[in-house]
Amino acid sequence: MASPVKMPPTTSEQLQQLNNARKMAFESPAYFKQIITGIFPLTSMSAPVELRRWAAEFIAEALACPALRTQEKDDLTITVIDGGALRALVEDPKQDPLVLKAGIMAAASAYPVVVRWIVSNAYHPETWMTMTAIKSRIFSVWDGAPTPVKLCCIKFVQRVILAQTASNGTEPKHSGLDVNLNMITPNQNLLDPRSLEPEAIGLLDRMLGGLQDNNSDVLIVDATLNTLSILVRTRPATSSRIINAVLNFNPLKLANSPMTPKNKVIIKSMMKTTLMLLGNILRRDPDNPLASRISSQHQRLMRARDEIFNEANRKRALPEQTAAGYGDAKRQKTEAAAAPQPPLRIQPLAPGPHTLAEVFSLTNNPGLHGFDVTVVPAPLTARINVRTLASLDQGQLDLAINGVRDRITALYAAAPAVPPVPVLVPGTATAQLAPANSDPAALGLVDDDDDYEPDLYTAAEDTEQILNKLDNAPPEAPPEQPAEPLALGPFRLPPPPVLNPDTAAKVSQITAMRIFGPLAGLEDPLVRKPKAGLNRLAANSHDRDSWLTLITRLATRSTMGLEDDIKTETDATALGRPQMSLGNLIREMLFNYVLEDWRRRIEVAVAWCCEEWYNDQLAKRAELEAPLNYERCALRLMDGFLSYITAQDKVLIRFLAEIPQLSKELLGRLKGLCSDPSTVKLAMTSLLYLVMMKPPAKELALDTVYEIWLEYEDARGLAEKYLRTYRPGFAGAQAAADGASSGNGSQAMTA
Amino acid sequence: MSAVDSATGAASSSKPEQNGQNGQNGGREDPGGFKLKFCTVCASNQNRSMEGHLRLSLANYPVISFGTGSLVRLPGPSITQPNVYKFNETSYDSIYRELEAKDPRLYRANGLLNMLGRNRQVKWGPERWQDWQIGMPRTKHKDDKGADGMEGGVADVVITCEERCWDAVIDDLLNRGSPLNRPVHVINIDIKDNHEEASVGGRAIVDLADSLNKIATEEREKVGADAFDSGSVGARSGFDERVPDVLAEWQERWPNLPATWTLAWF
Repeated sequence: MASPVKMPPTTSEQLQQLNNARKMAFESPAYFKQIITGIFPLTSMSAPVELRRWAAEFIAEALACPALRTQEKDDLTITVIDGGALRALVEDPKQDPLVLKAGIMAAASAYPVVVRWIVSNAYHPETWMTMTAIKSRIFSVWDGAPTPVKLCCIKFVQRVILAQTASNGTEPKHSGLDVNLNMITPNQNLLDPRSLEPEAIGLLDRMLGGLQDNNSDVLIVDATLNTLSILVRTRPATSSRIINAVLNFNPLKLANSPMTPKNKVIIKSMMKTTLMLLGNILRRDPDNPLASRISSQHQRLMRARDEIFNEANRKRALPEQTAAGYGDAKRQKTEAAAAPQPPLRIQPLAPGPHTLAEVFSLTNNPGLHGFDVTVVPAPLTARINVRTLASLDQGQLDLAINGVRDRITALYAAAPAVPPVPVLVPGTATAQLAPANSDPAALGLVDDDDDYEPDLYTAAEDTEQILNKLDNAPPEAPPEQPAEPLALGPFRLPPPPVLNPDTAAKVSQITAMRIFGPLAGLEDPLVRKPKAGLNRLAANSHDRDSWLTLITRLATRSTMGLEDDIKTETDATALGRPQMSLGNLIREMLFNYVLEDWRRRIEVAVAWCCEEWYNDQLAKRAELEAPLNYERCALRLMDGFLSYITAQDKVLIRFLAEIPQLSKELLGRLKGLCSDPSTVKLAMTSLLYLVMMKPPAKELALDTVYEIWLEYEDARGLAEKYLRTYRPGFAGAQAAADGASSGNGSQAMTA
Repeated sequence: MSAVDSATGAASSSKPEQNGQNGQNGGREDPGGFKLKFCTVCASNQNRSMEGHLRLSLANYPVISFGTGSLVRLPGPSITQPNVYKFNETSYDSIYRELEAKDPRLYRANGLLNMLGRNRQVKWGPERWQDWQIGMPRTKHKDDKGADGMEGGVADVVITCEERCWDAVIDDLLNRGSPLNRPVHVINIDIKDNHEEASVGGRAIVDLADSLNKIATEEREKVGADAFDSGSVGARSGFDERVPDVLAEWQERWPNLPATWTLAWF
C-alpha cells in the first residue's frame, strides 16, 4: 500500500502493485481505507495521468462498493472529501476527461453520504464546504464538458435531486438512495430544506431540458431517461414534472432523416429506452394519475416501432428456416419420421389344423411367432396393450379384426365335423364371435377386404348356412381332436383357499388392531361439546368420542348370536391355541386401551360397560343363547383398576356410580381395598355414595358395608357409622349381639 | 464505460501459461493492454450467453454471464416436459449427470450434454441476473473462465442475446435505481436459441467486443486535455460517444443479428 508512494521506477510496475492492492481490498473491504489514504498523492496533477486515472477510478469504485457497511462507507467518504482527493480530481480545468469522469462518479456516490453524515455531524462545516465546492464545480462543468463527462454530471445531479427532495419511503434502503429531504431537520445550520428542495427542482428542470430541447444526442437522452425511474417512483415532488417531460419527448424525430445505419441505431435506442421507462413506470405505479397518458404514449411508440423496424423485428420467414436444412434444434426429432405404413395384409391360413395362437397371429416374422408372451410380466403387458390400443389406427384395427374373423369362419367351414357345442358355451371366445358372425358385412365377406380369398377353401359357404348347420348338429360332447383348439373351455377362477379358524382368527386380530389405529391420531375435541343426551347420534363426527363409540359397539354387538358357533368350532380344533371371536378380540384391546391410562379413560370404560349391559339385555330379550358379557367385563375392569388404585383415585366412585348395574361380586371387590389402611376411606366413600345416590343399589351396598364391618378391623368404625345411619335395624341388632357374645368378636369376624 | 483498470491486461499477460492453454483451446494470443469488462445474458445462462462467455474469455476479456428467466429451462423428451432447474443452486455438472442418467441418447442427440459439458468447464453453474448483487466483489469465482479482471463485480458492457432479456435487464436496472452511479452499455443481439445460431452469435459477440475494446483503448491512449484538440474526429470523442458508430458498423457486418443498445446505469 505504502509502496506506490515510494515511487518505484516505472508507472507500469506501480500499476501492477496498485492492482494487487485493489484485489486485496475486494477480498477484504477493510483495506479500502488504507489503500485510499495511500493513493491521495496520486490524485494531484503532478502524478502521471495513468496513475491519476487509476486513483480516480479506484475511489469511484470504493465509494460505490456495496460490500462496505454504512459505517465503513461514511468513514471512507468523509476521508476522501476531507483529504481533498475528490476536489483535486474535479477542480483542475486541464484535468484528463477520464479522471474527471471518475471523479464525478465518485462525487455522485459521496453526495448522499455526506448529506446524511452532516445531519448528525453539523459541527464539521469544512466537510460540507468541500462537498459544496465539488458540487458547484460539477454544475459549472456540466454544460461545456465532453459527452462522457456530461453523462456523469447528469448522474451526479440525479443523486443531488434524490437527496434534496422528500421521499415516499419506497426506495431500497442501505444503498444511499434513501437519503432524502425528510432526513434533514429544519434547525440545521448547514442544510436548509427551504433552499435545498427548490435547488433540486431547478436541477431537475435543467436535467429534463436534455429531453425538452428535443436533443438528438442519444447518449444524453438515454442516460437521462435511465436515471428517471427511481425519481418518479420515490420522489413524489418530481413525478409529474418528469412524466410530462418524457411524454413530450419524441424519440422518433430523427425518423424522417436518412436512415443511415447509425441513425437506425440511435432511433431504436432512444425509442426502446423511452418505452422501457414508460413501461416500468406503468408497472410499478399503475395508479399514477397520468397512467392513461403514459399508456397511450407507450402504445403509440410500440406501433411506431413496428412500422419503422418492421423487418428487423419480424421472425424469419418459414421457407428460410426450412431452407436452412435443419429444424428447430429444441424440437429436433431424433428419429426419421415414420414412413406411411402399407395397408395391413392378413394372410389366410393354410388348410389343416391350427392352434389358436396361429389364428390370431398377424405377423409373418418367424422370430415374433416364436416369442413367448408369457415371459412379459402381466402388468407390463397390460400397459403395452392400453398404449397400443390408444394409438392404434382404427382402420388397421378393423382390418385385423376382420381378417381374424375370416380365418375363424374359414376354419369352421373347413372342419364341419366340429360340433356346435363349444360355440354355445357361454363365456368362450367363440361364443362372443357367434353373434357377430350373423352379420355378413361384419365378417369381412364384403368386397372391401382384398385379402380374403374364399376360393381357396372348398367349404366356403354362406355364413347363414354355416350357422344353420351348426345349430342343427347333434349336441353331443366334442371329441378331442386337433381342429378343436378354437373352443376355449369355460374359465374358472381358482377356488379361494379354505379359511380355517386359525387364519380367520389371525385376520380378525389384524382387523381389530387396525380399528384402534386411528385412535392415536384422534385427539379429544378442544372444546367439550355439551352432551346432547338421548337425542345424540352415536358417532356423527370424526373425533375420538365417536370412534370409541364405534369400537365399543363393534365389540359388543357385531358378532352377537354368532359366538356360540365359534366357541364350538374352537373347541373342535384340537390345536389347543385359544382363539377369540372378533368381538372378544376387540374387547381385549379395548380393555388394554382403557387400562393404559385408566384414570382419564374411565369414561370409555363406563361407555363400554353401558354398551355391554344393553347388549346383554337385548340378548336376554331375544332369548339368544349368547354368553353375557357385562358382568365379566365390569369385573375385569374393576380388577384392573384396583391393582393400580391409590387413595386419591376418586374416579372409582364415578365408575361405580355410572355403570348400569352393580352386583354383589362387583362390590365385593371393594372389600379388598379395606385390607389396605390407605384405601379404606376410598372404599367406604364409594359405598356411601352408592347408598346415598343410587337407591337401586342401596341395599346391595349396605350388605357390602356390613360384610366389611364383619371382616375388616380397620374399616369397622366407618362401617358401623354408616350402618347405624342407613340401616335402621342395625343399632338394635348390634346391641343384642353385643349382649349375646361379648368378648367373642373373633367368632363374629369369621362368620 | 471506461472506469477500467488498465492493468487488467497486464495481469493476464503475467500468466503466459494460462494464455498458452487458451491458445490450444481455440483462444488467441493476449496482446495485453486495456480490456473492457463484459457480461453476457440470455434466458437460462446455458446456450447463448455461455457460448459468448466462453468465446470472450478465450479472447482474453474479463467476462461473466447470467440468465434472466425465472428458472433454468432445458428441452426435455417433449415440448411439454422441459427439464427445469433452479438458478444459483444447480451446477452444470449436476445437470449434466442428471440428463446423462435420464436418457443419454436423447440428450446427446439434441446437443444438451455437449453444451453442458462445455459449460461446466467455464463456470460452476447458471446464475440469475436479477439475483446478481452488482458491485459485490466476485472473489469466489476465481476459477471461472474470464474471471480475471472481474473482481470488482461490475461490467462495462452487457450483451444480451434476446430482446426480452434486454428488456428484463433494463427493467431490472430501473428498479434497482442505479446506486453505483456507473454507466453501462447494454446491447442486445438477437440470437436464436439453438446451437448453430449460438455459435454464429458467439463470433459476432467477440467481433463486437473487439470493436468496442478498440475504441476504448484509443480513448485511453489520449493523454490529457491537450490531446483533445488533436487527432481525427473519431479519436477525439470518447468511448461512450463512439459506441453507436461501432454498433452501426457492426450491424452492417452482421445484418442477421438485429441489435438494440442503450446507456444505462448500475
